[in-house]
Amino acid sequence: MNSRTLALAGAAVCGLLFATACTDLTVAPKSTVTSGNVFSDASSYRAFVAKLYAGLAVTGQQGGAGQPDLDPSFDEGFSQYIRLWWQMNELPTDEAIIAWNDGSLSELNSGNWGSSNAFLGAMYNRITFQVTQANEFLRQTTDAVLDSRGVTGPLRTEIRTYRAEARFLRALSYWHAIDLFGNYILVTENDPVGGPPPQRATRQQIYDFLVSELTAIQGDMPAASAATYGRATTIANQMLLAKVYLNAGVYTGTTHDPEAMAAVNAVIGSGIYSLAPAYLNNFKADNNTSPEIIFAVPADGAHTQSYGNTNFLIHASCGGSMSNGTYGVDGCWWGLRLKPEAYAFYPAGDGRASYFYTSGQTVAVTDMFNFTNGIAAPKYQNVTSTGAPGSRTNFVDTDFPMFRLADAYLMYAELYLRGAGGTQQQALDDVNALRVRAYGDSSGVITAPELTLDFILDERGRELLWEGHRRTDLIRFGAFTGNTRVWAWKGGVLGGQTTPATLALYPLPASELIANPNLCQNPGYGGTTCP
Amino acid sequence: MRRNRHLIRAFLAATISWTAPLLAQQPTGTIRGRITDNSTQQPITGATVSVGRRTALTQVDGRYTIAGVPAGSDLLHVRMIGYAQADQPVLLAGGDTVVVDIALTIQAIGLSAIVVTGYGEQRAGNITGAVSQIADSQFNGGRIVSPAELIQGKIPGVQVVDNNEPGGGISLRIRGTTSANGSNEPLYIIDGMPVGNYSGGGISAGRDPLNALNPDDIESITVLRDASAAAIYGTNGTNGVVIITTKHGTRPQVEYTASTSASEVTRLPQMLNPQQFAQAVQAHSSNAGQLLTAKTDWFSQIDRTAYGQDHNISVSGSDPNTDWRLSGGFLDQDGILDATTVQRLSLAFNLRQRIFGDRLNVQANLRGSREHDLFTPGGVLSNAAQMGPTQPIYDSASTTGYYNWPGTLLQSADNPLEILRLGTDQGTTYRTIGNVQGSYRLPWLGEAFTANLNLGFDLAKADRETFNPISLHAQQKTGTDGSDYHYNDAQANSVLEMYLKYSSPLRVAPGIIDITGGYSYSQSHSDFSSYLGTGLSTDVLGGNGVTSALNVQNQRFINEDRLISFFGRATYNLNDRYLASVSVRHDGSSRFGPERQWGNFPSVSIGWRLSQEAFMRGFGSLSDLKLRGSWARTGNQPTAFYLAWPTFQAGDAQSQIEFGSGNFVSTLRAGNYNTNIGWEETDAYNAGVDFGFANQRYTGTVDWYTRNTSNLIFTVACASGSCLSDRITKNVGRMRNRGIELALNARVLEGPARLRWTAALSVTHNTNEMLGIDPAAGATQLLVGGIAGGVGNFIEVLQPGYAVNSFFVYQHKRDANGRPIYADNNGLSNGKFTGTPDGTINEQDLYVDQNGDSVINFNDRRPLHDPAPKWIVGHTSYLGWGSWSLDFTLRAYLGNYVYNNVASNLGTYQELRRGSPYNLHASVLETNFDSPQYFSDYYIEDASFLRLDNMTVAYSFQYHGSPLRLFASAKNVFTISGYSGVDPTAGLNGIDNNIYPRSRTFSAGLTVRL
Repeated sequence: MNSRTLALAGAAVCGLLFATACTDLTVAPKSTVTSGNVFSDASSYRAFVAKLYAGLAVTGQQGGAGQPDLDPSFDEGFSQYIRLWWQMNELPTDEAIIAWNDGSLSELNSGNWGSSNAFLGAMYNRITFQVTQANEFLRQTTDAVLDSRGVTGPLRTEIRTYRAEARFLRALSYWHAIDLFGNYILVTENDPVGGPPPQRATRQQIYDFLVSELTAIQGDMPAASAATYGRATTIANQMLLAKVYLNAGVYTGTTHDPEAMAAVNAVIGSGIYSLAPAYLNNFKADNNTSPEIIFAVPADGAHTQSYGNTNFLIHASCGGSMSNGTYGVDGCWWGLRLKPEAYAFYPAGDGRASYFYTSGQTVAVTDMFNFTNGIAAPKYQNVTSTGAPGSRTNFVDTDFPMFRLADAYLMYAELYLRGAGGTQQQALDDVNALRVRAYGDSSGVITAPELTLDFILDERGRELLWEGHRRTDLIRFGAFTGNTRVWAWKGGVLGGQTTPATLALYPLPASELIANPNLCQNPGYGGTTCP
Repeated sequence: MRRNRHLIRAFLAATISWTAPLLAQQPTGTIRGRITDNSTQQPITGATVSVGRRTALTQVDGRYTIAGVPAGSDLLHVRMIGYAQADQPVLLAGGDTVVVDIALTIQAIGLSAIVVTGYGEQRAGNITGAVSQIADSQFNGGRIVSPAELIQGKIPGVQVVDNNEPGGGISLRIRGTTSANGSNEPLYIIDGMPVGNYSGGGISAGRDPLNALNPDDIESITVLRDASAAAIYGTNGTNGVVIITTKHGTRPQVEYTASTSASEVTRLPQMLNPQQFAQAVQAHSSNAGQLLTAKTDWFSQIDRTAYGQDHNISVSGSDPNTDWRLSGGFLDQDGILDATTVQRLSLAFNLRQRIFGDRLNVQANLRGSREHDLFTPGGVLSNAAQMGPTQPIYDSASTTGYYNWPGTLLQSADNPLEILRLGTDQGTTYRTIGNVQGSYRLPWLGEAFTANLNLGFDLAKADRETFNPISLHAQQKTGTDGSDYHYNDAQANSVLEMYLKYSSPLRVAPGIIDITGGYSYSQSHSDFSSYLGTGLSTDVLGGNGVTSALNVQNQRFINEDRLISFFGRATYNLNDRYLASVSVRHDGSSRFGPERQWGNFPSVSIGWRLSQEAFMRGFGSLSDLKLRGSWARTGNQPTAFYLAWPTFQAGDAQSQIEFGSGNFVSTLRAGNYNTNIGWEETDAYNAGVDFGFANQRYTGTVDWYTRNTSNLIFTVACASGSCLSDRITKNVGRMRNRGIELALNARVLEGPARLRWTAALSVTHNTNEMLGIDPAAGATQLLVGGIAGGVGNFIEVLQPGYAVNSFFVYQHKRDANGRPIYADNNGLSNGKFTGTPDGTINEQDLYVDQNGDSVINFNDRRPLHDPAPKWIVGHTSYLGWGSWSLDFTLRAYLGNYVYNNVASNLGTYQELRRGSPYNLHASVLETNFDSPQYFSDYYIEDASFLRLDNMTVAYSFQYHGSPLRLFASAKNVFTISGYSGVDPTAGLNGIDNNIYPRSRTFSAGLTVRL
C-alpha cells in the first residue's frame, strides 16, 4: 500500500463517518419511562392515580427515602406530607411540643415562625405537588386523550372512578392549603405545565372551587366498602365536604352549618362505619381493621415506608425511660410530648389517657428541647390490638386515621349546638357513646346542660388528641390566637401569652413570593400584603 | 456538516492558488538538511529555516526542505526560540540540491521547551495563554497513589484537594469554583484521550478514578489554566484542562523502582478522656449508673501504623523509526485506619512508529489496571468519637464478643471495633484506556498539511460490596437486621477525533501561521445497577450473596450522552515577537434541550515579546519579557442526564400504597423536565506577563484574570403550580472569580561548587462571588452544605454578594474573653426582648438580633467566611550536592475556613442525657453548651496553615556500571495551623465531620536502570 492509497482510504473512512453521523445529538433515555410509552401499559393509569394517594404517605419513589418527590436539599423525612401537616396543626396548639432544634422546626412550638421557615415552605410545596400531579393525571385521562389511545370498556369505566379520586385528593390538598395558608393559587388540569406563574386565588375562590368539585365528583367516587380501604370513597368525600362547610365561616366569613350538617348526616347515616370497641385500636398496627376509620393514610412496614406519617409519630413519641419495644419500634427519637394543658384535658378515669407515659417525665415543659419535660403520649403504636408487633420495627404498619366516625359524632354535636339542625338527644347520644367507650362505663356520661360549645372544644381535644385537628378547631372556636386560651410557649414564653390574630394563617413562603410575583403575603409577615 | 466540508475545500483551493505562481520561477535549487541541538544532538522541531523570501519549518526529525530557492549565493537563517540564531552562507546552482545541517546553541532554557496544548504542541516561549507544565523531575516525591498529587502545591491557580485516604477521591479547582450544580473538575486528557471532566473522569468503586493511571508512568502534566488555552476544548474547558503525557521509550533500558513506606496518624478529634467524661456524666446526667470503669481510647483501637509497598518495572526500546515502552506496577498501600487498603496492578504499553519515510506517525497507548480497595466500614470513625471512653472493648456475654451499651437504643453509639471487625466494605475497579493516533503528512501542497486521526476508548467496571452482619449492634438497633449492598457499574466511552493541521510559513505574508481544524465525536454509555438487601435471613455467605432478605431494592440506570464538536484554531507568530491565537469550538451536547444543544466557544489571545524589540536589547540581563492578553468563552454542562425529557419514575416495592384493602400497588410519578436547559458559559479575561533574566535562569509569570460565569445551572424553586414538582433545573445564576497568580523560578545556585539549588514559588489569590440568582426563579438564597447533627441541617449558602458556599450562621455573643456566651440573660415579652432572665437558655440569649425584630430566627443568620482559600502559596526547592539531592515542597493556605462539625455535633452536655451517653467533643469544656448550637459562628474556624507536604532525599551512584538511585521521603512532615479540628484541609466544602485523619508517611526505596 503506498501512501496515496492510504490517504484515499482515510478520506473514504472520514466521508463515511461524516455521512452517517454525526451531528445527531438525540440520545433518548433508556432505563426511564417517558410520556411516549408509559400508557401503552394499561396498569399505568392505576399506578399513576396510586401515586396521588402515595403522595400523602411516602416521600419519593424509593421506600424510606430516595428518589424524592421534592427538593432533596430538605430532608425527605422532614418533608413528608402528614408529618408536616400534623406538626403545623399540633405544635402551635395546646396539645404538643417537639424537642428537636432542627432548622426552624422549633418556631412551630412557640409561634414565632417567619416566611423563611423551611417546614412551612415544604408543606406549601407538598400541597402543590399533589395538585400538579393530580392535574397531570386528569390531563392524561381526558376523553379525547383516552380516545386517541383507544381506551375502552372496563378500563375506561375504571379510569372514570380514578378521575374522581384524583379530584378528591386534589380537593383535600386545596382544603389543607386554604386552612393553613388562606391565600393560594388555583391551578387545574387546564393550566399547562411550564406556563407562567399562576394567579393568586383567594380563600373564597378556592372554597367555592372545593364545594363545586366535591359536589360534582360524589357520584363517581368508589362506593364505600370493606374492599375500598385506603381509597377515598363516597363517604370520605362527604366527610371532606362536611369539614369544608363546617369551617366556612373562617374561610369566607359566611357560615354554612346546615350544609355541613347534611354532609355529616350522610356520613353517620350511611351506617357503614361504627365505633371501634377499644379507643386505642384506631391507632395500632392493625387499625386497618377498625370499623371506625373513614379515610386513612396507610403505612406498612413492608410496602409503604417513610420517615414521616405514623412512623414519625410513633418514633418521635418515644424517649426518656420508655422502652421502644413496647411500641413495636427499633428505637426512640425523643421528640413529641404533651403540653401541660393537654395533659390536663383528662380527668381521672378517662381511658383515653391510659397510654400516657409519666415515669421520669415532668408535666411542665420548662425546656422545650428536653424530652423529659412534658408527659409522653405514645398514642400511635406499632403493635396490634392483640399485642403482636408490627411486621417491621424500623417502619410501621399503623395507618394514619385522617377521618374517623368519632370526629363525625363530635361534628354533629357541634353543629347542633351552632343551630344547624339535628336533635339534642342525638348529639348527647353521640358524645356519650364516645365517653362510655373512654371510661369503660357510664361514669363519664354527660347531661344536656353540660353539652356546650366549650365542652365540645375540650372533648375534641380529648378524643382527637394528636390527630391533626387541633389548630383548625381552636381557630373555629376563636381560641387559637388572642388570649381566650393560653398555653405553655404560646407567644414564645414559657407561661404563654396573647398572640396576634395574624398567626391564624401561616405566611406564604418567602421564596414563593419571589418566584411568583402574582402572589401576596398574609398580614403580619412583611412583604406585599394581600388587599 | 456539509457546510464545513465546503469550507475545507475552499481553504485548500485558496492555498493552492497562492503557491502556484511561485512554482513558475527559474532557475532554482533545493536546500535541505537537519537542525539539531548542539549539546544534546537531538533534532529540533519547528525551527524556522529561511533563505531569501523562502522559509520552511523543521519536522519532528529536525529535517527541512526548501525547494524553489533562486540559484546563487545567499545566507541561510535558522531561528528557534530559546536558541541563538544561526546564519550560514550557501551557494546554490540551478537544479542542485544542497544539504545544510546546522546545530543550534541553546540560549535560554525553557523558552524552547515543548508544551503540550490542545490538539498540538507549542514552544513555551510562544504561548499566549496561561499554561503550566510540570515534568516528572519536578513531581512531588514519596508515596503517591493518585496522579493529581504529583502537582500539589506546584502550579499557581491550581488547588489540589485530597481526602487523606490513600488514593481517595481527589478534586482539582483551577481558578476557583465556577459551577454550583455542574462539575467543577477540569477535563483530563491522557495521551490525547479525553477521559471526562468529573473527578478523575469515569467511574470507580469509591476511590479516585484516575488511580487507573500509575503515577510512575507519567512524563509530564500540563495544566491549561486560562480559558483561551482551554477554549479549544469548548464545553469541557470551563474548569481548565489537565493534559497528562505518559512516558515513551527513549533508549533500550530496563528500569525498576521499589519503595516501602510506613504511615502514622497525625491528628484526631479531641474528645473527652475517661476522667473528663465520667465527671461530665455525673454533673449533667442521671445516666451515671451506666458508667463503667474501663479506660478505652477508641481511636487507638481503629488506627494503626500503615505499611505500603510499590514496585514498578519498565522495559523500553527505540530505533530511528520506533520507540516503545512497556511497564507494570504493583502498589499495596494500607491506610492509617484499620481495613483501609488500596491495591493496584497496572500495565501500560506505548508505541510510536514512523512509517513511509516519516510521513506517517502512529502512536498507540494502551493501559489497564485493576484496583482492589478495602474501605474502613462506615460508622467506624463517628462511633470511635461517640463511644463512651469508660466502657470496655469486649464483652464475653454478648453475641459478637464486643461490648455495646445495654439495650438497643437508637441513639446509642456502637462499638467501632465491632463494626470494623465484622462489617466489610470493598470494591474492585477495572479500567482500560487506549487510543491510537495517526498523523499523516500529506504529500501534496508542499507538505504543509498533516491529517490526524485519534480513536480511543475508556472502559471501566466498578463493583462495590458492603456487608453488615445481622449481629451488629448498629443493625439490631435500627431494625435493619443485616444489610448486603452491591453495586456493579460499567462505563464505556469512545472518542473519534480528526483534524487537519496546516503549519508552514505563508509566502504571502511575513510570519508563521498554524491552522488546525477538526471534528470530534465522543459518546458515553454507563450502566449502574445496585442491589440492597436488608433483614437478612443469615450471615453465612458474608458479602458474597444472600440466601434471602426481608427487603430487597434493585435498581438499574442507564445513562448515555454524546458530545459532538467542530473546532478550529489559528496561531500567528511574527519573528517570535508578535503572537496571536484565535480558536473557536462549535459544541453540541445531548444533555440539553433540543433548541439549546449547540454552543459556540471562541477565544482570542495575543502576545508581545517585548524582549525581542530593539529598544529592549541590552536591558540588563533580560532574556524574555512577554505581555499576554486573552478573552475566551467556555462552557459547562450539568452532571445530570435527560433534564429535557418528560419522564415517569416508577416507585419501588417499599414505596407502594394500599389501593383497596390489602392491595399494595406500585406507583408512577410524572417527572419534571425543562426543554430549555442550556450551557453554562464562562467569559474569561486574562492578562499576563512572562519574564526571564540571565538566559532564563530567573523566570517568572504573573497573571490577572476575571471569569464571569453566567447561565449557571441551578435547581431552583419553580413558581409553585407551574411545573410538576417544587423544583426545576434551569439556567439562572451568575458567578465571578477574580484572581492573581504568580510563579517564580530560579536556578539559584548552579554547579560550580557541586552545589545546586533550584527554587520555585507559586502564589495564588482567588476571590469568588455569587453575582446573582435570577429572582424570577424564586431563589435569592440556596442552602447547601449538609451537616451532621439533627436532620436536614445546612451550614452553607449560595447568596448573591457572597462567595459560593459561604457559611451561614448566627453571630454568637461573646464575653470579655471572647468565649461564646451560654447563659440565661434575656426573656421575651410581647415579641420584645426584656433583657431579664426568663429561666431558659435559648436563641435570644445567645445570638445577635441582626434584623432588629426582637426575634431570633432564620432571618438572623448571615453569610460569614467561606471554605475556599483566599491565598495559596507553594514553594519547592530542589537542592543538589554531588550525587545527593534534596527536594521539598511547602504549601500554605490563607483565609480558608472550616466548620468544625464534630465539635458542633458532639460538644453539648445534652448528649449525655441520651439513654446511653455520647462522648463529648472537648470544646464543650470551653462553651458549656447544653443544647446544640449548630449554627453558631463559634464553630467557623480560620483554618489557614503551613505544611511541609513533601521532602525527599536521594543519592545516585553507579553500581557495577548501572545507575542506581536510593531515596527516602517524608510526606506531610508538619502542619502549622490554628485550626482545632482534625485537618485544616477538610475537603472542598470545609465541613470537618469525621473526615479521614491525615497521615504522615515515610518511605524509602531505590531505582535501578539496566
